[in-house]
Amino acid sequence: MNDEEIATDGGAVADTEEAASGGSGIARLRERDDFVVIASAAALVVFPFLLVDVLGAVGDVIGISIGGYAGLPSLVLIYGIIVIGFNLLLGYTGLLSFGHAAFFGSAAYSAALFSQVVPSPILMVIVGTIVATLLAWPIGFVSIRRSGVYFAVLTLTFGQALYFWALGPGSWLTNGDNGFSGIEAHGLFVGAVPLDTQLVPVFDSYTVMYAFAGVMMLIAVWVGNRIINSPYGLIFEALGENEERVEFVGLNVFRYKLMAFVISAVFAGVGGAMFVIHEQYIHPTTGLYWIQSGDFVIMTVLGGTGSLVGPVFGALVFEYVANVVSGVSLPMIGSIGSLWRFVLGAVFVFIVWVFPRGIYGAFSDLGARITGGGGDGNQPAATDGGESE
Amino acid sequence: MLLQSEIASILLNGLQQGAIYALLGIGLTIILGTMEFLNLAHGALYLVGAYTGLIVFQETALSNGLLYSLGITTMGFEGGFLAALVIVPAFGFGVGLLMERFVAEPFYDRPETDQLLVTFGLALIVEETIKNVIGGNTFQSIAPSTIFGVNVSQPISLPLVGLFPSWRLIIIGIAFLVIGLTYLAIERTDFGLVVQAGTRDSEMVRLLGIKINRSYSLVFALGAALAAFAGLIGASIQTLSPQIGMDQALIPAFLTIVVGGAGSVRGAIAGGLVLGVIVSAMTQTYSQWAQIVLYLFVALMLIFRPQGLFGTAEVGE
Repeated sequence: MNDEEIATDGGAVADTEEAASGGSGIARLRERDDFVVIASAAALVVFPFLLVDVLGAVGDVIGISIGGYAGLPSLVLIYGIIVIGFNLLLGYTGLLSFGHAAFFGSAAYSAALFSQVVPSPILMVIVGTIVATLLAWPIGFVSIRRSGVYFAVLTLTFGQALYFWALGPGSWLTNGDNGFSGIEAHGLFVGAVPLDTQLVPVFDSYTVMYAFAGVMMLIAVWVGNRIINSPYGLIFEALGENEERVEFVGLNVFRYKLMAFVISAVFAGVGGAMFVIHEQYIHPTTGLYWIQSGDFVIMTVLGGTGSLVGPVFGALVFEYVANVVSGVSLPMIGSIGSLWRFVLGAVFVFIVWVFPRGIYGAFSDLGARITGGGGDGNQPAATDGGESE
Repeated sequence: MLLQSEIASILLNGLQQGAIYALLGIGLTIILGTMEFLNLAHGALYLVGAYTGLIVFQETALSNGLLYSLGITTMGFEGGFLAALVIVPAFGFGVGLLMERFVAEPFYDRPETDQLLVTFGLALIVEETIKNVIGGNTFQSIAPSTIFGVNVSQPISLPLVGLFPSWRLIIIGIAFLVIGLTYLAIERTDFGLVVQAGTRDSEMVRLLGIKINRSYSLVFALGAALAAFAGLIGASIQTLSPQIGMDQALIPAFLTIVVGGAGSVRGAIAGGLVLGVIVSAMTQTYSQWAQIVLYLFVALMLIFRPQGLFGTAEVGE
């Protein structure tokens, strides 16, 4: 990345005069909160239909089951929420954490424990998020002091310490290797609306759970967009590009990095609590093991770190491959089964290698090239040209 | 007396575990120090070593395998492990050369997060390949029962320690021989001099007219060979499964160089031994807390002495 991007984004926030030119007008529209949220809402309305029903119908025609199952859209949204937050840390602030499973898992466990007292989904999310945030503060406080690989290792060590604690000495609280299963959340509005109620009679992927996850996703998109397009978010971005420069400007680097860390943990906490509500089980390996952190990294990078919603596409691809493609049996190759992680690893390496801005970045570059927007300073293509160092 | 023997056995077990950590740590640290390249696939190299060892061990066994099918059954000793001792590091060396050329080199000038990401992906690929080709199930450790006709499967009685598995003693001996030779190679040879200079200032080394790129390949291959060798040693005392590359190699290797100090060979040896003794002491007393204490120790180390025991603060920051 170079100075140009700070300048263009900064201009989009602060200036109002540039609105006259067409290219920047579109760019400005794309950054507006209401536009982003409405566009996301529209996408969320058609998403389960496309994923489960349309793909399912296509699958029926070609004789391979490639649709999703009813719960998959919600699961994608849950991971989507997490990686939007993770990207604020990795993509914008430039900090690679290998310990976010700690926040995901602690939120999941506290939500699960809380559900035994009050099985309200909304309260579960709130409790889980609070616990994740409280945990992120000290871990962030310590880890932020180091950069680069040391930061990654520090976050990893804290996450792993928590994992082994949950497996062994902490089993009185976490149920150890047995985990929790059969966690029941009663339903929204004091249990009046059960989460598995169908919203649309014919399409069984439109459940209350999906709507719940969808609303949380919209909030996440709104908050994420708010942060990225605020002066505060610009400092995150500046930190990702050159920490020293931010320090010389006179800003408290430590404070901003810590805030980026805690904010990303809040998203992970929301996702962790939602995960428990959706999947109704939690186990140290699912919740706290460092491979889970690695999965967040993969999703984020796969989708693309350069934009707000890019990582959500990564979550979609990841969960789709993990849950659907792994069960597909192809005519020539046979069952894919456990090969899915191999395929994922290969795709991941390819993406890191060729498209550092991920799937979403590659597509938006392609779109910009087709519409011929390469010359405009506010178009993604131009900022990308600066980014590939 | 009981206490004394306990301490002695903790130290011996720590020595053996620490030797594996040190082997891994040296490889990781010379690659990080010389090329500033962060190799998350280091655990995958350990895995390659362990599984190559397994295959060599099985194929050269007396009762079945390739040698048996060729009609060679009268070698008089179990040559499997000895053959693996030569073949595994050589194979690891070759893999390292290829990796440096095709994976590491294109990423030298990219941001360090990209390096972490691409090698993380590579580690996934290696792990999944092993899972799909050899199988995800666990294998028994591949320790031979006799070497040159001498029974090595029985424990022997040591002063202070009491009974100790003699195979583990042999392992400690072999591992420290290799560690010592590596240390000498880096401290006492011209190649080592270039490597050491490279860890301090690779730009300056290049300006002096030394072909550092060739050294890069050699360093990478040496690191890979050490990791593969550590895998072979590990496979001879622990059960094998595709997960061990990450859990028992990559993470401990990182912890080792964090404790020892990135870029320092001496640090990797010291760090490995310190961690090995911690793990062995905790395992023998409060085994549930072993991993937790290990991680928290490293976290404390990072907070209060970020440069490690022997490192300088700049490398990898």
